This record gives sequence, C-alpha cells and structure tokens, in this order.
Amino acid sequence: MSHKEARSEREAACQELRKAIGAEKVRDDEITLVTYGRVRHGFDRMWPFRKPCFVVFPETREDVIETLKIADRDKIPVTSVGTASIMLGTTEGGIILDQRRRDKILEINADSGYAVIEPGVSFDKLTSALRGTGFKCSVGTMPGPGTILGQALGRGSQSFTTRYLNVILDLEVVLPNGTVFTTGSSHFDGVGSHLRYGPYPDLAGLYTCAYGAMGVITKAAIRIHPVNEASRIHFAGFDTYSDAVDFVKDLVNHNIPEHTFIWNWHMYLTWPLAPADMESVMPEILESDIKNPPEGVPFNMVSSLLSGYKEQVEVYEKLCAKVAKKYHGRVISEEEMEERFPATMAGFNQQYGDFHYRESVHWSKGRFVGWYVFAEPKDMKDIEKFAVNEFAKYGKTINPVNYYSHPFDFGRSILLRISGFPDPTNTELRGEIMKKFEEMYDTALKKYRAVPIRPIGSKRAGTYMDVLRSIKKALDPNNILNRDGGLFEEGEL
Amino acid sequence: MKLTTTLKDVQGTASRCLRDARCTYGSWPENHSLCPIYWHEPSFTFSAGGYLFLIMALLEKKIDFGQDTAEFAFSCTGCMACESNCRIIPCHAPHAGPLDIIRLLRSEVVKRGLIPQGAARKVYDEIQKRGDYGQVNSLEFPEKISRDDADTVVFAECAHIPAQKDIFEVVIKVLEKIGTPVSQFAEKGCCGSTLYDFGFWEQLEPLARANWEKMKALKGKKIVIVNPHCLEFMVKRYPEILPDYSSPQYQHMSELLADAFKDGKLKSKKGDKVKVTYHDPCYLGRGLNIYDAPREVLSSLGGVELVEMRRNREDSFCCGARTLGHYVPNLRAHTARERIEEFKDTGADLMITACAYCKDRFRKVLPAKEKERVKDLVELVDERT
Repeated sequence: MSHKEARSEREAACQELRKAIGAEKVRDDEITLVTYGRVRHGFDRMWPFRKPCFVVFPETREDVIETLKIADRDKIPVTSVGTASIMLGTTEGGIILDQRRRDKILEINADSGYAVIEPGVSFDKLTSALRGTGFKCSVGTMPGPGTILGQALGRGSQSFTTRYLNVILDLEVVLPNGTVFTTGSSHFDGVGSHLRYGPYPDLAGLYTCAYGAMGVITKAAIRIHPVNEASRIHFAGFDTYSDAVDFVKDLVNHNIPEHTFIWNWHMYLTWPLAPADMESVMPEILESDIKNPPEGVPFNMVSSLLSGYKEQVEVYEKLCAKVAKKYHGRVISEEEMEERFPATMAGFNQQYGDFHYRESVHWSKGRFVGWYVFAEPKDMKDIEKFAVNEFAKYGKTINPVNYYSHPFDFGRSILLRISGFPDPTNTELRGEIMKKFEEMYDTALKKYRAVPIRPIGSKRAGTYMDVLRSIKKALDPNNILNRDGGLFEEGEL
Repeated sequence: MKLTTTLKDVQGTASRCLRDARCTYGSWPENHSLCPIYWHEPSFTFSAGGYLFLIMALLEKKIDFGQDTAEFAFSCTGCMACESNCRIIPCHAPHAGPLDIIRLLRSEVVKRGLIPQGAARKVYDEIQKRGDYGQVNSLEFPEKISRDDADTVVFAECAHIPAQKDIFEVVIKVLEKIGTPVSQFAEKGCCGSTLYDFGFWEQLEPLARANWEKMKALKGKKIVIVNPHCLEFMVKRYPEILPDYSSPQYQHMSELLADAFKDGKLKSKKGDKVKVTYHDPCYLGRGLNIYDAPREVLSSLGGVELVEMRRNREDSFCCGARTLGHYVPNLRAHTARERIEEFKDTGADLMITACAYCKDRFRKVLPAKEKERVKDLVELVDERT
C-alpha cells in the first residue's frame, strides 16, 4: 500500500471511529498529533519523533473495544498511555489511546482491602478518595498525578510493598479482536476482586511489564492497606549501604516494619523539595560529591513505617533501635529530623502520615536517567558500590544522584533504583549515559547476579522472549499493540 | 521573564516536563480541576505541558507556525493554575512559569503577524495604527478629596476600558465616603499588562518605561490599583522589564477598603440579609495571594453572609475572560458558565468579584434578568455604606 493510500485509509478509520464513539473523543488536529509525537519520557530528542494518525480519548470500555476492532481490522498500531512519563515508544501513523479520561474509582472494598479503578486514576485521586475509609494505598515513587496502573504495570516500586512485589490483584483486559476477560477472581460472575490467583495460571503476571503489548487494560483491582490504630516512622542513619541492608533485612525477617526504605543522602535531602527549597538546599547538593556527605549527614537513611496497635508500635520502635545499633546505625529522632532536615521530614509526614505523595516535588529537577535492578541482599551490597562509582564518574553533571533501595517479598529480593539528572537537552551526554547503563546491566547481571526491572532486549532474554513472542502472536496476530519499544524492541516483531 | 527571552532559551526547561498534568489541578486532597482548557478538553495537548511540547515541536520544525498556532496560543485563559501548581518548570532557568512561556509563544506568533480575530486583533490594529496602546484619560474626583499632593494615588490608567468604567465611577463614590485625600495616576492609558499577556512585547518596554519615568515622582506615596491585572503586572513584571525600577508601595482597592473598615472610615449600613459568594480573580488570588482582604470587606458589611464556592482561594476557577483564541470552540463561554453553575450551587444571591474582566464575563453569560447577580466588591460596598 502506498503512503497516500495508507493515509487515506487511516483518515477513513478516524471518521469511522468518530461515528462509533463520538467525534469529541478522537482528535487528529496537527497540534494534538505533534504534542503526542514523542511521549517517551517527555519530548526527549533521544527518541525518534513519530506522529500518530489520531489520538483517542476513550471514556468507556466499549470505546476501547471499538478502537481496537477498527485498528485491528486495518492493522493500525495502537499505543495505550496514561498521564506522566512512560517507557513506551510510539509508532509513526499509529493510534495513541490516551486513557486519562477513564478515571473513575469504581469500588473501595473495605472488607477485603482492595480498590477497583479505571486506568486513568492517579495516585492523587485514589489517596484522596481513601481518606476517612480506614485504608491507604501504596504510594508510588512517582508524581502524584501519575496513573497508578501505569506504574503498577511497569512493576514500579511503591511504598508499603515490602511484603508484596506488586499491587495488582485483578485486571480487565481487552484484546485486539474485542475479547474481554479478567485475570483474577472477578472473572467469575458475581465474585469480587479479592484474589489474584484463581484455579488457573496467573494471567495478571502476563500483563505486568508487558507494556501494553498483550492487550489493553481497561479496569484493575489493586491492594489497599488498613490504616492501623497507631503508626510511626522510625529513622536510622548508616555510614554504609551494607549496614543499611543488613538492618532492613533483619527488620523484615522479624516482621517488624510495614514498609522500609533505604535512601541515599542526595535523595532524602532533595526528594521532598518545594520550589523555595530548590534555592536553598539544591545548590549545595548540585556541587557535592555523591560519595562524601558533609559531616554529620548519614550516607544512608532508613525510614521504617511501624504500624499496629499502640503498644505494638512502641515495642517495634525499641526493637528498631536495638537492631540499628547492632548494625552500627544511629537512631534519628523525629525532633532531630524536624530540626536538621525539615523539608525531608515534611515529605515523610505526608507520605507516611497522610498517606499520599507530596505532589510532584520529588521531581523538581524534572526528567532523569535511571538504572534499576533487583538482586539478592548480599549481591546488592556490591552492586550499590559499583553503581555509585559509575554515577560518580560523571561528577556534578548528573547531580543529584538519587537512589533508594528497599526489600521486597520479606527481603528475598532488594531493589536498587539510582537516577541522575543530566541536562535534558544534552543529548550527547545522555546518549553516553544510556550506553553506559547498558554496559552496567550486563556487568550487574554477569558479575553480581542482578536482574533488571525493565526489558533488556530479546538477545539477552533468550528463550523467555521466544515464549513471549509466541503468546504475543496468539493474542495480537496483527501485531498492533505497543509494538515499538516497551516489551519488544523496535522493529523486532 | 525578560522580554528578550527566546523560544530556544526555554527549550531545556520545557523538556523537563513530565507530562503528568499536575499543572491542571489544585492542591491535594481536593484535587480540583483548575485549568479551564484542560477541564474542557482533557488531553495532554491542552495542558501547560502540551504548550511546552508544541514549542519544542516548533523548534524542531515538526510543525510550522500558522494561524492554528496563534489560535492555540491565545486559547489559554491565563488563569495561572499552572504557575501555582507546576513544581518543575519554574525551578529551572530562565525560571519562568508555564504561563510565561505560553506568553512567549504568543509573542512569537505575533511577530509573525498571526493574531486571532477579536480582542487581540483589535489591540494589534490599534498598535499598528497609533504605535502605542492605551487611551489617556482621567477621573473626576470630588473637590472634597481631590488633592494633587495626596499620599494616596489612584492608578486610573485603564479606567477608559468599557468593562472598567462603571467600577471606577463607584470607586470615586466610595473614596469620597472614606474621605481620604487622593490624586490620580493617568498618563499613558495602560500599564502594559495587556501587551504582555497578548504577546505585543515590542511595544511593551517603551510603555512601561514611560510610566515608570512618571511614577518616580510618586516616591513615598501609596498607589491604589483597582484592576488586579495591572497590579500583578506592575508588582511582578516591571522589575523584570525595567532594570532601574524600584517598587513603590502598592495596594489593591480591596485592601484599601478593608483598612477603611478597620479604621472606621467606612461604616456599613444596616442592610437586608443577603447571601453572597466571592469569586477570587486569578490575578488577585493566585497572582498576588490577596485572598483575605476582599473577604474581610464582605464580613464588614451588615446583613451579608459569605458562602464559599467549591473552588475558592488558590483553588479558584477562572472566568475565562482572557481566552482570545478560537482553537477550542466556546471555551470562554463554557468556562464562565461552569463558574456560574458553581455560584448557583452555593445558593448565594450574589456573586461578588474584584476584577472588571470577571464581572463582565460572568454578566455576558447570564440571562438579562440575572445579570445584576454579579457585582464588583466596590459596588456592593457602595450600596451598603
């Protein structure tokens, strides 16, 4: 088909879809198309610009189904997105399915402890809705306006997930041919979404980290967690990451914290910065050496959310102090936090006191470059040294170098997420860093047995990807869903 | 932002946008929808981030400047919700908020002669014809209070604007009741805020300079400004535009009224009971953080009960008056109607505001018999003192 014919076919598809779901939900004006032309991590010149043929804003599941049916029939690629930055490439002449208007909270189940949400629901929206219900949600380390599913499906790390690797219980999925199914217990008529694992293989797992390539998610049930009678945040400072890891491992093995986080000093000092703090705190951080914190500033700080009955929390607090001492740490009282790190404390109070994200302040520096891996605790100690050394080589050009780390699945696996903030317009430097990251993933995997969070390419993933390709072929025979970047490499399919 | 700033200068900052639409809604936990264009058309394109991405697309020549670019650039209501809520863009050089960057885009389309029809085109044509903007005018103060050397100077530059004229007439009456001697500043006929908002930046510096040269003689005096757009502009932009500028003492009319009640210079009559709601104008509220003075004035008026709208203070919703582009059909009217609905939901009899543009816009969308339900604060004060 010639370029002209293809364009005319897409114009016809656009008109047909407008008729089917309503003209106001489909836009093909030039300004809309160019502003959706490069959605990967913002308008990032590192990634190719690909103008879609139209952008669809579904308001119902049926709108999604109609869109997919037409796209599948005409073999038009579809990329499903929400708000905030995403890890997806888009396809030239494809359809962007922007689910931001599907933002209803359909159910808050306070008996079982789950919320059923549409894909456009943001952290800010759900955390707000949960106030007064006796529940809180896992708050992501991403901006409050970011869509919960966007992060959960990418298996982003979230607070309160020490015990779980993921917040998803149940997903409603639409396939390109219009088939709709749910992955968990609500698949059965009249049954709620309380259980991820039914009598069949866990299909929610297939959609986690699939980056939309296996189907479009139109609804989800996610875990929410009870707000207990009492809760406190315990802070401990450590001079080495190794001690901090031993500390959190010990705590989670003894079932003490609901959640625990290791922060490096750049991160705990800068993540909650409001614009005013950007002028006071940030300049010194930008000039500093990541490896050498100023006198009295712990290299790592561990925050642990302790919750339960009042008496239980009091005991937990004493135990945290005991364990911190065991691993050469120092308890930092709330008073000391308030006095020395007021902005940091304000952030913690919001996250662990009000159970929401402190707006977007975490991202005052805007777009970043990040490197993320999981490893066993012992290996992670070496990986942290390795990663910090590699980041330090770039000096001030990528400050602040923020990392956080936390145990998942009761400490079986530890996450390290380390980011830097190079000038977003310096594509040369950023290209160099991305290349370096690839080398670092190779080293981390071969030398330290670390598993990356994000896809690392079909060549490295071997037969795992062969199986996924077969599944993809069965579910999406015309290969229309999120095919260029994400789960599969550009042009791989 | 400096008038010499170029689109290229903001490219780096714009590319830091996380496209998370945080610019479009208010503070947690209410998360009220604030950006009128995004409320009307929820899409990344119609958020401040969309404007930033368009700028980057223009710089990369993925799209050309055209009439659509102008219509789009002028469709933003300029409500400042993005300025108040975006935590990223203002943190980076040139430390401009998203709205300022949208104004920069407007100045670029203006340079190319791409002006939307309507108010913006009228201003443009006037500038082309006369080489200037504004209309010299003066207020007629009663002898009782008129003093050339008075310490209180009323900024009367925009008193000639139709929407503003009636309000200034009432301002004079209220000032007479207060009795404090006043003089007036009426030189060029405009402070420059309209030129700045509309992107007519070439003509702006000479106008601001001419005003400032005249204002220097007012050192030590208090300048009272009725229109929040003028006040916000002079407080925030004159220092950026004029290197030798040193800020005089400014006061908004609502603050002067609040002081007059406190000092006993204004006294409320016993009036019939009336339920009112107060609409925070964007430039007085989000622009200048003046939220309390108007409410203090309302609470000083006998029989007046204030009820708040769902979206108020820093989370106020715009009236839509400054939407001058036509990229989103009916945006201006829909925005005003949305706010009117909110006013009606409160059960209030009157909606009070403190900006001539807001009053004018709300009245335009109300049926004839209901137009009197929207008043300026000064008008209510005049009726009840």
